[in-house]
Parts: sequence; C-alpha cells; structure tokens
Amino acid sequence: MKKHLLGTILQILLTVFTFFIIYLPIIIILLISFHDSQYNYNDFGFTFRWYGEILNDRPLMDAIFVTLQIAILSTMISTVFGTLFAIGIHSLRKKSRLKVMVLNNVPVVNPDIVTGIMLFMIFRFIRISFGFPTMLLAHIFFSIPFVILSVLPKLKSLDPNLFDAALDLGATKLKAILYVIVPSIKIGMLAGALIAFTMSIDDFIISYFMKQGEFHNVSTLIYSRLGKRQISPSVFAYNSVVVVLTVGIMITFNRMNRINKKVKGERL
Amino acid sequence: MKSIYKLVLPYLFWLFLLIVIPSIFIILATISTFHIFNDYDFRLTLDSLRFLQDSIFLNAFRNSIKYAGITTLICFVIGYPVAYYFARSESKNKTLYVALLIVPIWSNMIVRIIAWENIFKPVSIINLFNLSFDLIGRDSAIIIAMVSMYLPFMIFPIYAVLDKMDDALVEASRDLGASASQTFFKVTLPLSLGGIVSGVIMTLLPAMTAFALPERLGGGTIILLGNLIEKEIFRGSFNIAATVSFVVMIVMLGLFMLIIRFDKEGETLL
Repeated sequence: MKKHLLGTILQILLTVFTFFIIYLPIIIILLISFHDSQYNYNDFGFTFRWYGEILNDRPLMDAIFVTLQIAILSTMISTVFGTLFAIGIHSLRKKSRLKVMVLNNVPVVNPDIVTGIMLFMIFRFIRISFGFPTMLLAHIFFSIPFVILSVLPKLKSLDPNLFDAALDLGATKLKAILYVIVPSIKIGMLAGALIAFTMSIDDFIISYFMKQGEFHNVSTLIYSRLGKRQISPSVFAYNSVVVVLTVGIMITFNRMNRINKKVKGERL
Repeated sequence: MKSIYKLVLPYLFWLFLLIVIPSIFIILATISTFHIFNDYDFRLTLDSLRFLQDSIFLNAFRNSIKYAGITTLICFVIGYPVAYYFARSESKNKTLYVALLIVPIWSNMIVRIIAWENIFKPVSIINLFNLSFDLIGRDSAIIIAMVSMYLPFMIFPIYAVLDKMDDALVEASRDLGASASQTFFKVTLPLSLGGIVSGVIMTLLPAMTAFALPERLGGGTIILLGNLIEKEIFRGSFNIAATVSFVVMIVMLGLFMLIIRFDKEGETLL
C-alpha cells in the first residue's frame, strides 16, 4: 500500500510539472502583452496599450484577416467534404476501408515540413498561383483527414439499416444523407470542424511553403518579422486574445455537448 | 449503405493528386535530375544521394536523432504516468483537466517559441522575477522547449487507450494473484502499446523536422533536418531538398508501419 501511495505522489508531481512546463510560455506571453516596456524589465508596468496597437498594425491586421478567412473557409469546406468522404469510406468493405484509411492517415502522421514540400511541388507543377488559393487548398488538405477521423466513429455507432430504411421510405440518397445521417453524426462533425479550425489558425510550417511575396497569415508574418527583429508586443496581445477566445468557444461547445447529452443521452 | 461508396472516388483522386504524385516527384528528384522549376535533361544520377554522405547532412541527421530522441524519451517518461493518472482519476472534472492540456496548443506555435526564447535570453521579461538565464544555443534550451511543445501529443493517445481499457482486466489480474507491478507490466502496459506508438510518432516526427524552434533557440548554429530542407528548397537546390525529405519519409514510413500494426484505422491519432 505504501508503494502505491509513493506512485500516486510521483504521478501528481509529474502532472503538476506537465502543466507548469506547457503553461510557462503562455504565462510569459500574457506578461509581455501587459507589460508597458519592450526594453525595460526592472519593474512591471501594467498597460493595455499593445492590445490597442493591434488595430494600428496594418500588416498584422491584414494577416489576421487572411488567417480568419482561410480558417473559416477551409473549416467549412473540409467539414462538408470530409463528412461526405467519411460516409463513403464507411460504406466500403472492411478491406478496402482499411486501405483508404492508411492513405487518409498519411497527412496526419506526415511531418508538416514534408507535407509542405509535397504540396509546394504539386502546386508549382500544376501552376496554381501561390498565395491565397494554395494556402486555402493546403489547409483543406490537412483538415479533411481529421474530420474523417472524428466522423467515422460516429458512423460506426449508427444503425446500419437507418440509411436503407430512409431509401425504402422514398428518400433520395441526398435526402437520406442530409436528413437521416447528418443529424445523427453532427457531434462528430462539430468536433472535426473544431479541430480543423484550430489547426488552421495556428498553422505555420505548411503555410510557410504556400507564401507569396507579402501575402502572410499571422504565423508566417511573425516569422518573417523575427528575421528583421521587429516583434512588437502587440503580437503577444493578439495571441492572448486568440487563446482566450478559443477557451471561450471550447467551454461553450462543452456546455452544448453536455446539454445535448442530457437531452438525448448522446456520447461524445 | 453499400450504394454510396462512390463518394470515396473524389477523395481517392484528391489523395492521389496531393500525396501519391508528390511522393513520386520526391523519389524521382532523389535519383535523377528531375526538376519542377527548371528545364533539365532527364537522366538517372546518384548526385543527390551523394549528399547523404556530406558532413552537413550527417550533422543535421545526428542532431535530429539526438534532440528528437531525448525529447521523445523525456515526454514518454513524464507523459505515461500523467496519462495513467488522468485515466485512473475518478474526478468528475477529468475531461476538463485533459482539455486544459490542449489550451496551450491553441496559442500560436511561433509565439510560444518566441516566449521560450525570451525565457532563455539574459535580458527579458523574467528579469521581473529576478531571474535570468543565458541558454540560447545550448542543448538544454532546445530540449526543454521541445518537451513543452510536444508533451501533450504524447499524453493524448496514451490517455485515450488507458481510458478505454476495461478495469475488470486489472482486477482479474490482481484476483488471480499478480502483484501490482506484475499487473502493470503484463496487462496495462501491453494493452496501451497502441497509444504509446502513436504518442512516440506524434512527438518524434515533428521534433525531428522542427525548423523554427532550433533556429530560434539554437542561436542559428544548430541545424536539424527541418532547417536543412527549408534552406535548400528556398535556395533552389530542389534535388537536395527532395533527398533530405526522402530520408524523413523513410523514417516516417517505418514508424507508420508500426502504427498500422497496432491501430488499423488510426483511432488513436486524434
């Protein structure tokens, strides 16, 4: 029993350490975003100035706009197509389903830099103009596998006769998908969309290979400024806003899910 | 639902176009003069492969193995007990604690790297607490920052398998007379192998190919495979970049085979 206690204490210590080491940079980011000087670190001076400064930083505002546009578009497109593909994959026989899933999981496991190079080559080869179109396509590319991975388990827990029943009752295939399947898997779709969105607003490496001239998303803009040593704390302020917003969205999503669970006894 | 398999066809085309064809490009560029930007005479050549004997490559490869290996090991040693602790926890807020591990990932990766850079340089915000480090360019700076970046990716898949595991198995093992440590090594650990493999891959591969992190925290002198690929492709050395990517792909494929053995449909990848 004593050994057991020791193990538990060790586990708790490691858990505390884990939270410490992954939250330390977040705390530093928050501190810098509220500290009034970029050069003087003798005393802390509280300010909201950097948060206001975000609005005056034209390139940063442009990059934020690009990031949001790409994130919203790629999330919508990859959720719709990912769900349709998942429905298709689900209807396959086990053997071919496993084959498709191997291919599907390549972008998930592939290091971002290799995915970046691969997309860079194919887009150059088929001569798509770099910048917005390639960045959007790239984000759709890395998002779809995650949507499929979150939708498939939901499809598996569906009654296999549901779809056929809808067809027997006279629904077209499209209607059966829209009115019978989609409502039963919407939690999986929402989870997939959430993953897609958060990955898109954070992506650096893949976007870096899609860049063109002064076209930037937030990550590539910050990276390009690093080289020129012009990082203003407004970047940290922007990042803090994003973290707070995503936490808010996550809590709302969690609440919704809990209410859903209560109403329908559904599991996420 | 057999009649809707056709929905997969466009996806297969998409994957073929964006995965299979570029992979062929990478292989071609490694073993021939194949080029996508310039005109070239196609002939097979081992010129690019010879780069694999170059000290620049060998050094980057060694660094990648070293930093990614140490990081993965530390992440596993810390991550497994943490995942175990969360999975065993009876707390109502269990999912909340796990969700708290995700929050830092939502913060922009580059900004987090700059935050670590701030922590490790002598004059920075942490002077406010009378602390000052001078670790930029040291191994410890890179490894600590990598552990901070990738630790959650080790914990999630292990947590996922441990959480799904049937407690009755552990109880049965104890009832049949196994000690706590025997139960752990003979029952719990083997059953969580799938999660461990996913966790190791999700930590090892990104760490091996990171380029912004070693660039900022290595003080510009420590080169990993990621830095090499990035530098060569933007310098126009297409074939060299492809060759290095090819090496990374081989490592990835090896690890991917492992994943397929344990987890056919990639359920632990989420």
